[in-house]
Amino acid sequence: MKQQSHPFASLIVIMGCLILSACGDQLSLENASTPLALGIDLDQDEKFHFYATAPVYSKNIKKKSQEITGEAESLRQSKALQDSQTAGSVQGRNYQVLLIGRHLLQYNDWFPMLDVIFRDARNTITDRIIVVDGSVKELLYLNPPDQPLLPIILRGMVDTKTTKSETYSTTAQELHRQFMDKGVTPYVAEVKVVNKQIQLKGSALLNERGKYMMSLNAQETILLNILQKQADPGFSLSYLIPDKPQTGPFATNMLSFTGGKVKTSIKTAYANQKFKFDIHIKTTVGLSEHIFPIDITKDSPKLQKQISSLMQEQIEGIIEKLKKHKIDPIGLGVYARAYQYEHFKQVEDEWGEAISRSEINVKVDLTIGAMGPVK
Amino acid sequence: MINTDKNSITYTQFVLIITGIQISVAVLSLPRKLAEAAGSDGWLALPLGFILNLVCSYIIVAVMRSCSGRTLIDTVSAMMGKWIGKAFALALAFYFLNLMYDGLVRAILIVKIWLMPNTQAYVLMLLLLFPAYKIALGGPRIIGRYAELVTVISCWLPFVYLFTLKYAHWLNLLPFFKEGFLPVLYAVKSTIYPTLGLAAVFILYPYLKNKEKAAPALFISNMITTTVYLFITIICFIYYSPHESKFYNDPIISILKTIEFRFIERIEIPFISFYLFVFSLVWIPSMYIVSYCMSLVFELDSHRTPLRVLCIVLIVGTFFYMPTFNQSDKIQHFLTWFGFSMEYVLPSILLIAITIYNRYRPRNAL
Repeated sequence: MKQQSHPFASLIVIMGCLILSACGDQLSLENASTPLALGIDLDQDEKFHFYATAPVYSKNIKKKSQEITGEAESLRQSKALQDSQTAGSVQGRNYQVLLIGRHLLQYNDWFPMLDVIFRDARNTITDRIIVVDGSVKELLYLNPPDQPLLPIILRGMVDTKTTKSETYSTTAQELHRQFMDKGVTPYVAEVKVVNKQIQLKGSALLNERGKYMMSLNAQETILLNILQKQADPGFSLSYLIPDKPQTGPFATNMLSFTGGKVKTSIKTAYANQKFKFDIHIKTTVGLSEHIFPIDITKDSPKLQKQISSLMQEQIEGIIEKLKKHKIDPIGLGVYARAYQYEHFKQVEDEWGEAISRSEINVKVDLTIGAMGPVK
Repeated sequence: MINTDKNSITYTQFVLIITGIQISVAVLSLPRKLAEAAGSDGWLALPLGFILNLVCSYIIVAVMRSCSGRTLIDTVSAMMGKWIGKAFALALAFYFLNLMYDGLVRAILIVKIWLMPNTQAYVLMLLLLFPAYKIALGGPRIIGRYAELVTVISCWLPFVYLFTLKYAHWLNLLPFFKEGFLPVLYAVKSTIYPTLGLAAVFILYPYLKNKEKAAPALFISNMITTTVYLFITIICFIYYSPHESKFYNDPIISILKTIEFRFIERIEIPFISFYLFVFSLVWIPSMYIVSYCMSLVFELDSHRTPLRVLCIVLIVGTFFYMPTFNQSDKIQHFLTWFGFSMEYVLPSILLIAITIYNRYRPRNAL
């Protein structure tokens, strides 16, 4: 009897599996609309708007993307409104970029609006956060004929520029970390539409509650990356050397170099009711351009000193601005927490205040390692 | 059931079954629980938990050694009478029923939230129980082989977590003992629930081929468990900022969402499916132990009937009632204390009882 029951039992199992497979969660591709970019912004009347752009897969349609937009209370609440504009059901599983308008960033505490991204387990959280200097609507409806789809170009822009340290490819997850960590304030990429062209500006720095504070251009972003110990070899910096002659319309006193591995050490101390950070940056660079003639073999010590002090000045300028705005994208608070926990704990809720009072010293030691193939 | 050579398990299988029962659904929320108790110092509680478990393992082995080959339930029956023996078997069955139910419910809830929100819970229960029934029916040896198989096919899982090291913030761990030693001690409580399962030794010990090696085997399985937990907790703590570690219900899965590969966008999906293998190592041995204990209580000659009843009750029961996440948390909270008394307190009492019994009844020496 036991022998007989076996094929029968297997039959039941196979039947069961066949009937139950895929269960209630299947979704045909035809019925799905997958936006690749999501944007949020405020309009002139301070009303919350969402924007999304989904690729259209059809031979006969010239325009390759469809834009969805509407006024909403929140992102998930507007699901029906999103669905009503497409043939399929809108799925948030494939966002490549998340655009945030500068107008919205004039307000504090907008970050909880993104809750659905983290709470709905099926949403991606590696979408790159990008701040738009201007209106998100303008960027989204730009559709330049000579460029790939907007989400693709933005994602590519941000990702490749990040390898050169010229911007940040801050993911939604990373932004979440920056908001939750009391020792650091958020930093994200920033783009702008200039003459109907998308342009990457550098980075936007927010305060701990998400309000826009200031922007950094590409070169300043590289320096911030160095301070954050995130700069990969290969970044490029340019400086005007002050004592070199400049002739005509050409910047003949320009010098550019490519960075190698950077060693940044940050020492933390606490004295006289304030934190003290000593930042020491050491790197070896290769010259990639100097328009003025110079004998590197002879004059390199002097040149090294000049570039070091120029770099140091610029970094000090950035830090001064950070202190003025009471933000800490460098993450000095993380150092303070690790090494001066007792003192940090007292000020962790107003770390911006503490950082503006703190003393930050920067020292740059730069060595020229190579002058390139020409003398 | 009498121990036969046909059903004996090897040293490796013994280690892996015990480790499998320990590393269960609890691993998913462990970093959060440690962070809630002691912030970023939570991981320091794991070595302390390890020592606690080691002591408990040696006590259990000492108890089993004094049973000399018989099952613990037989020994208790011989010592204190048949009904106390049965009550003991019932308690053990109830304990493992809890452990198994908790494992199944958590796994289903996780699958539902991450993979298939619209699928009914009883459908998933049915699908999980088909293979579980087949394996649990086979007895310790088949379970042992299954444990070996699962270990082999899932030993690559931890390595994927190394990809998150790119975003590691090692400074998050500093300073050690930032709030002193007390929160760390308090966090040891959170390590109890994820390391439950040593009680399975009560049942599996007689099947072990080489009984002198039981103590080193338990040392190794505790070692593996603690290493895995340490690894995963530290990965979470250096990835998430200190306040963020408390924010995610299952940081082990959430952290996977941040790993990007060119060829796969949502890596957590194959992972959760794969984790089901790992988690099945908690409910399959537990199912066996429950039905085995019940067969002892009702004096049946095999565990087949109780196992069938168990499966059917589970499926029908899930059709009518499925715990929510909050209720599942309550089960886990209950299990922490129940498990503590079953695995830490009870063996100690048993050891004392058996020692006294052996000393004063030398003629009937066990």
